[in-house]
Amino acid sequence: MDVRISGVTKLYEPDIRALEDVYLTVPKGEFLYLVGQTGSGKTTLLRLITREVMPTKGQIAVGEYNLRKMSAFDLALYRRDLGVIFQDFKLLPHLTAMENVAFVLDVIGVPPAEVKERTGEVLERVGMWRRRFLRPPQLSGGEQQRIAIARAVVNAPSLLVADEPTGNLDTHTAEEIMQLLLSINASGTTVLMATHNQFLVDAYRQRVLELHMGRVVRDEKRGRYELDGDF
Amino acid sequence: MGTFRYVLRDTNRLLFRHWGLSLLTLFTAVAVFFLVGSSALFMLNTRYLVARVESELLVQAYVKNEAQLQTVADKAHKIPGVASVRWVTTAEAMERLKTRLKGHAQALTILGENPLPPSLEIGLARAVLAPSVARELLAMPEVDDVIYAGGLADKLARVSRFATRFSMFVLVIAVTASALVLFNTIRISIYSRRDEIGVMLLVGATPTFVALPFVLQGMLLGMGGALGASLLIGGGYEALVRGVEATLPFVQLFRDPSMLLRLGLILLGGGITVGWISSWMAVERFIRRALRPM
Repeated sequence: MDVRISGVTKLYEPDIRALEDVYLTVPKGEFLYLVGQTGSGKTTLLRLITREVMPTKGQIAVGEYNLRKMSAFDLALYRRDLGVIFQDFKLLPHLTAMENVAFVLDVIGVPPAEVKERTGEVLERVGMWRRRFLRPPQLSGGEQQRIAIARAVVNAPSLLVADEPTGNLDTHTAEEIMQLLLSINASGTTVLMATHNQFLVDAYRQRVLELHMGRVVRDEKRGRYELDGDF
Repeated sequence: MGTFRYVLRDTNRLLFRHWGLSLLTLFTAVAVFFLVGSSALFMLNTRYLVARVESELLVQAYVKNEAQLQTVADKAHKIPGVASVRWVTTAEAMERLKTRLKGHAQALTILGENPLPPSLEIGLARAVLAPSVARELLAMPEVDDVIYAGGLADKLARVSRFATRFSMFVLVIAVTASALVLFNTIRISIYSRRDEIGVMLLVGATPTFVALPFVLQGMLLGMGGALGASLLIGGGYEALVRGVEATLPFVQLFRDPSMLLRLGLILLGGGITVGWISSWMAVERFIRRALRPM
């Protein structure tokens, strides 16, 4: 799915401006890094795309969906085609790693045999098959992150939104997760990734969009991390 | 099929994860529906008693002469609320008096000619109609006098009205109470799983899919409460009827197994409906709020 954002402004309070007049087009199959200081508007931009937040002004369209106008049912259909990796993982602590992944397929009514097969495949892919019966509190941060990624991609989404997927991970694990996201992107999924990880952005060069105080200050093809907003 | 299994599994989880709360709700629902059923039975018994007395309540119209009985009977049939009209000739009146006096019937010979007037015994559809029927009869030129148990009729009508109103009042209070209890139970269940619901909605579950286990939980609790109450009422009422028959043979309680079965089915339907509506209201409100973007 492609993403088209035009003239989007988001105010949380009359005097709290999270985004201002943002224009962005992400073609289908592209990998985009969102960079910027804390509070620059990266998470708000991603939450606008998941439709957890509504713009104060402007339009957002993803694929065939106009996010301004959609019924609850259309929203459900849209989100089935969207994979989200949350900054805080949002794993359900009472379910095992495998159940957390299978849950996504369960709630959209996938037959049990298919749930088992697809869950197994994706857990192998993220290297968590052997740890599948453990619950989130029994897993390390990196392992929880892998489960969150497995859950985000198990439904083969057209668009993957990742908010700091390598935050708090060691370099080695972060690299493994990056490889995983790139392989998902290579299969045709559009990926939007908000990150502070300079090493990854510089090592795996992709399009970079920099936000500073809610405004787009840089949009570079195969860019580097280095923040303009620092100057 | 996957959806169906998921909903059943989840409903089971909801009911047993907070089993103490489920049990408390179930007991409350039993108590509430027991109250509803008992007040319905009270109303049925009052109506039964009123109907029995009403069926025996007669308006006696004394006619000036026997030749006019047919005319008055024809006119009486046309009065609204008249269920039956029976002639009592002077001879029949005398026979009845003799039967009532038994051993003293000889005394009647001193009366010479039969002084008892001919009359019509008029049965009523409802006791409350007695005064108006009596007024219409009195207005007929052929009728000499009208006698009926006016006070009794009025009292019966008042008791019947009170029983109906009281039962309706209990019904409204009980249904509201059970709806509130179920509503709060479902709300607590939803609150304990708010993170899960949030994730469900974010990964593409439809509102209906999210709501189904909670609605089913509410319906099952409502149904369980009504079923428990029906069994208690069924068993308890049978024991009450037997006890009253043994100790107070002149008091006749309403006894109709098919009516008790119908009452049980109505309670069951009511329990399911109240559970469905209250849980749907609780879960729908939560989902609507969760789906609303900031």
